[in-house]
Amino acid sequence: MYYFDHSATTPILPEVIELMNTINKNIYGNPSSIYSSGRKSRSIIEKAREQIAKSISSKPEQIIFTSGGTESNNQVLWSIIKNNKKHIVANEIEHPAVTQVLQSLKQFGIEHQLVKVKKNGIVSVDEIYEAIKPETSLISLMLANNELGTIQPLKEVVEFANKHNIMVHTDAVQCLGKMEVDVISLGIDFLSLSAHKFYGPKGVGILYAKNPKKISSLIIGGGQENNLRAGTENISTIAGMGLAAKISTTSLNEKIKSLYSFEQQFKKGLNRFFDNAIYNGHQSKKLPGIINVSFPNFQSDKVMVQLDRKNIAISNGSACGSGNIEPSKVLSAIGLNEKINLSTLRFSFGKSNDKQQIDYLLSSLESILVKS
Amino acid sequence: MSRIIIGMSGGVDSAVAASILVDIGYDVEAIFMKNWEDESEYCTAEQDYKDALQVCDSLNIPLHSVNFTKEYWNRVFKYFLEEYKNGRTPNPDILCNTEIKFKEFLNYAIDLGADKIATGHYVQISDNCDNIKLLKGLDHTKDQSYFLYGLNQHQISSTLFPIGNQIKSNIRKKAKKLGFKNFDKKDSVGICFIGERNIKDFLKQYLPANPGIIVTNDGTNVGQHDGLMYYTIGQRKGLGIGGGHSNLSGAWYVIEKNLENNKLVVAQGHNNPALYHKNIQASGIHWISGNPPKTDKLNVKIRYRGNDVPCTIKELSQKKIAIELEELCFGISPGQSAVFYDGEICLGGAIIDSYHN
Repeated sequence: MYYFDHSATTPILPEVIELMNTINKNIYGNPSSIYSSGRKSRSIIEKAREQIAKSISSKPEQIIFTSGGTESNNQVLWSIIKNNKKHIVANEIEHPAVTQVLQSLKQFGIEHQLVKVKKNGIVSVDEIYEAIKPETSLISLMLANNELGTIQPLKEVVEFANKHNIMVHTDAVQCLGKMEVDVISLGIDFLSLSAHKFYGPKGVGILYAKNPKKISSLIIGGGQENNLRAGTENISTIAGMGLAAKISTTSLNEKIKSLYSFEQQFKKGLNRFFDNAIYNGHQSKKLPGIINVSFPNFQSDKVMVQLDRKNIAISNGSACGSGNIEPSKVLSAIGLNEKINLSTLRFSFGKSNDKQQIDYLLSSLESILVKS
Repeated sequence: MSRIIIGMSGGVDSAVAASILVDIGYDVEAIFMKNWEDESEYCTAEQDYKDALQVCDSLNIPLHSVNFTKEYWNRVFKYFLEEYKNGRTPNPDILCNTEIKFKEFLNYAIDLGADKIATGHYVQISDNCDNIKLLKGLDHTKDQSYFLYGLNQHQISSTLFPIGNQIKSNIRKKAKKLGFKNFDKKDSVGICFIGERNIKDFLKQYLPANPGIIVTNDGTNVGQHDGLMYYTIGQRKGLGIGGGHSNLSGAWYVIEKNLENNKLVVAQGHNNPALYHKNIQASGIHWISGNPPKTDKLNVKIRYRGNDVPCTIKELSQKKIAIELEELCFGISPGQSAVFYDGEICLGGAIIDSYHN
């Protein structure tokens, strides 16, 4: 398969698979048990916690293991129920794992406002300032958007929020391994990550909390994770995530350079045979290797079927449970009309790609876009 | 081998149809169509898609998806509501075939490089002459030609109906043998977007109800109706009035919807002559061959699963026709289609406007 959908998910690194297999085969002690195999499990988990902490410059005790980005987002947002200030500010291009949660929180008295995003796919800081109320306790702003890759002005927002005693959460699932993610320099209160976006396994993620006392548990039970996430730990996936985080953040600059060169190769190549491509979102303030491009007069679902026949995986819009493509809300938010919206594809490159693969992608696209 | 794109619903019929095409050796792809936007408990689209996926996985063919909800709303559903508003009982599945499955879907598939499309309908094709004919399905209990009378030569010649010569029970057996999880899935009944729900509750969401009185032929007030759109000619259940009003005993039946006065007219007893008619006027006549049949001795079905009733027809102006039935028929409903047959051949049809004796 020719896989250009790394923003959806990534293949697991071979060394991560090997580590998980070894653990699954040999280590099954309950990490809460005090005999030696339990202790062994515990130390594996704590090693992973250190690896993750190091990859985002936090302390290990600020890391809570969860089932993934969606759960991490939920945990932060649902915690606001216990806060005296019951207003949250987010923006309209957040992932549904934020916006849908906010919808659900309404019935529990948590109000929210989704601020607008500019045409370049970057949220307007001024609009966030204006949305703030005395009751605002939290701002949730993604570090980079999943469809456009646009990087949001998080630092500025944090500086402002700090002055008003407002906490800031960021959904950073798209970012690890594609940009520096440093919780200290960001100054952020909460941050969500998901292992399968950085070549780790699915079903595991983390929530970073600057001060874990400020959140409460979503899953109640045996008191694991300092009473912040009950349930017996999935040792091998946690270990796999730790190793994946370590590998993904080692020689980060090389990785960024490589993604950037794929992007340039793609854009240059596309330009050779298709001259009215529209690149959506800010093209420099964005993650490298994510390209959101509209092909006017082509229907994205048809192009995808034809690419699928050539064994090429890319994505468009957001597919729902019945496999159907709806116009992307993110693209509507940046002002694309429905026709262009449904002419848009997202290419996201990654580790499994090389120059020849992108050449193959280009020649395949050419055969589809130029013949008609 | 030519590329066939099959419309895959998640049901057992299109699943087995796909397997037959694969066996023949066609290059088969499947498309799951979404025509209705509904997140209620009645919408089975997500499960249907999963069922379709399981079938395609086991046949090792790709499954694509396409969304025609807008086209369906504009060209089928609006008409459906309009007909109900006018006191008629429409059959949206017929329009769905001519406007969506055999127009939008057909064009979409051809655009994707299909040589032909295929569906899991129980109908057959005969093309041993210059004119392609649509025939009833071999399994008369499942025959779906009634829903396809609106197709033209181009549409039929672009389509394969792989299970038209099969018996439903065999289809289920085949599906089971092939390991399709949907082998015992219930046949869909009624109008697809309404599903299992009460049509009254469904219509309420879209059309304002205008309650009024129920009267007998002689004008006697016998009860209250909830809005004329909720009733069909020949309907017995749900009228909310008991028997025993006059000398004629027996249940009450709807015989007329008087839109002008908002009155529902009823009569008592299944054998009441007011429920039976011999003459029908219909409009929008369509002939599958493109021309009216040479003979005027035909059979007609006035509802899906209805009997074939011998009749003669006379073409009036403006695509209107007069149908004279050889026998009295029960419950002729304006809005439903009258579909014509010459033996097994489905010739075409028209939409019933009125009836008289």
